[in-house]
Amino acid sequence: MLSPERLALPDYEYLAQRHVLTYMEDAVCQLLENREDISQYGIARFFTEYFTSVCQGTHILFREFSFIQATPHNRASFLRAFWRCFRTVGKNGDLLTMKEYHCLLQLLCPDFPLELTQKAARIVLMDDAMDCLMSFSDFLFAFQIQFYYSEFLDSVAAIYQDLLSGKNPNTVIVPTSFSGQHRQRPALGEAGMLEGVEASLFYQCLENLCDRHKYSCPPPALVKEVLSNVQRLTFYGFLVALSKHHGINQALGALPDKGDLMHDPAMDEELERLLVQVPGLVNSATPEASCLPSRIPPRVGSPWRPLHHSRKVDAESDGSTEETDESET
Amino acid sequence: MAALPVPVPSVKMAAVEKRRPAVAPAASFTDNGRPSVSRAQAAAENEEDFLRQVGVTEMLRAALLKVLEARPEEPIAFLAHYFENMGLRSPASGGAGEPPGQLLLQQQRLGRALWHLRLAHHSQRTAFNNNVSVAYECLSAGGRRKRPGLDGRTYSELLKRICRDGEAPEEVVAPLLRKIQCRDHEAVPRGVFRAGMLTCFVLLDFVARAGALFRLLEAPGLAVADRRVGQAVLDTLEGALGAGDHTAVPACYLEAGSRLGPDSLALALDRAATGRRPSSPMSREEFLEKAAALFIAKVKPVG
Repeated sequence: MLSPERLALPDYEYLAQRHVLTYMEDAVCQLLENREDISQYGIARFFTEYFTSVCQGTHILFREFSFIQATPHNRASFLRAFWRCFRTVGKNGDLLTMKEYHCLLQLLCPDFPLELTQKAARIVLMDDAMDCLMSFSDFLFAFQIQFYYSEFLDSVAAIYQDLLSGKNPNTVIVPTSFSGQHRQRPALGEAGMLEGVEASLFYQCLENLCDRHKYSCPPPALVKEVLSNVQRLTFYGFLVALSKHHGINQALGALPDKGDLMHDPAMDEELERLLVQVPGLVNSATPEASCLPSRIPPRVGSPWRPLHHSRKVDAESDGSTEETDESET
Repeated sequence: MAALPVPVPSVKMAAVEKRRPAVAPAASFTDNGRPSVSRAQAAAENEEDFLRQVGVTEMLRAALLKVLEARPEEPIAFLAHYFENMGLRSPASGGAGEPPGQLLLQQQRLGRALWHLRLAHHSQRTAFNNNVSVAYECLSAGGRRKRPGLDGRTYSELLKRICRDGEAPEEVVAPLLRKIQCRDHEAVPRGVFRAGMLTCFVLLDFVARAGALFRLLEAPGLAVADRRVGQAVLDTLEGALGAGDHTAVPACYLEAGSRLGPDSLALALDRAATGRRPSSPMSREEFLEKAAALFIAKVKPVG
């Protein structure tokens, strides 16, 4: 229960490690912005609600991007919020474009940068055809990796580029026996023949990176696992492998396993209960909708129609490149 | 956001009232609403003043000190509880309305003392000692009809609450309570209070460990352990505790440790298990009670 190293840290490091001051500062800012509230409810109650919502992860809703990405806990909370708010998109099997996912993100965080959404979409679409449709779960898991490990991935991209252009970011690299079979450093022009970089070399660089990285990075053991399965891989190949890795998802701890993504009976019940109260939304479909445990709710009468737009017809014909998750699980 | 369905507390902020009798500056600020005009330096200064005047600065300083003192694993949850507790007590003590009854006041005092006592684990001795002092002051503060000082009844009540919340079976801790309780109308000195609290928390930890030990011994599926095995463990424990009999020589800790080491325990278990006679089972309660008795035998009674 007691982790002793916590007690041995200097005060300042202990506070920094757990981002205590970040939240205290933010609490004060929020308090200043809501002075009317505190004269009504009292300061202690204001702080109670603030810190409780931080614990519950609801504190990031509708906040500015700089705050949302300020701590690992905030990032995880945002991912969870995004999943919980929009998982019905996945449930309905809707496929959306990058821009549409970006709109969803902006509903939760108005100044969410487009660049980050684009990067996530590149993982799903392997860096081409950026206007393609994506399934919710594909986008979510790619987005998770991109958003949570953003700084780490930037460094990885730089390393990858160095390796690709023949520069060696690490000076101490022993070529493995495998590399003898291929030509060691493919010149840029030969990319057609040998795509990507050699996995073991790549791993050595990443291992170094994880050691000195001050932001969060995925557990090195799992990165190794991802890279030990292949000989060569491309940057986007690596990101796809990371985003589909169960262990990394678990280590990150924000989202459930892919199979359970649409499964949240308590939330479903709550939703149904709320929907019944909204007149005009649930009409003829009510008897159907009340038999809840079915994994794919009836499409007719779904309140999430507005998201489900006219492109749907296209989606069903040319969405064949995507993995539609409903059939898998 | 976490919406609390709590009835709106008194409009006056109790915390403000305590510190500054004049609420006027804060009130005038809220009248302005959010002035978008003055986002300049004046605003920054005003904000600092504002925070100081309504007591936020002081409140956060105190909270931060508590965090550093207790070093909780989850500081944010700790802070949430910290402010919750503060919010619970301020409207009652400073707010308008009729004064709460004597009994309610007593319960509030107990709750507050318990909260302070639990802020830090007893192994963090400095923090724990500070919190014990604060709890003692909470309980011994004078009131309208209460003279300052802590009486035996309150102290016993607090001990009972700690044990009850510690999830130790009543019959296990009852002997301890009998030993360290004071008479209802006795005044409880600070030293006795501190020793009592510490003993009580240590016993709860001890019982929790004993419970874990029993889980290792119990036969899978059945909720009982073999009596011979259980007794052998208890005997070994007793031997180890007896070894350091009230001597302040550090060597006795080493000796106790070696007696509890895997070798000597295994030997005892082995000896116990070789006896082929069938034996009656030993229940968890019995094991805990006997283990706790070993501990309690070492506690010096009060008075």
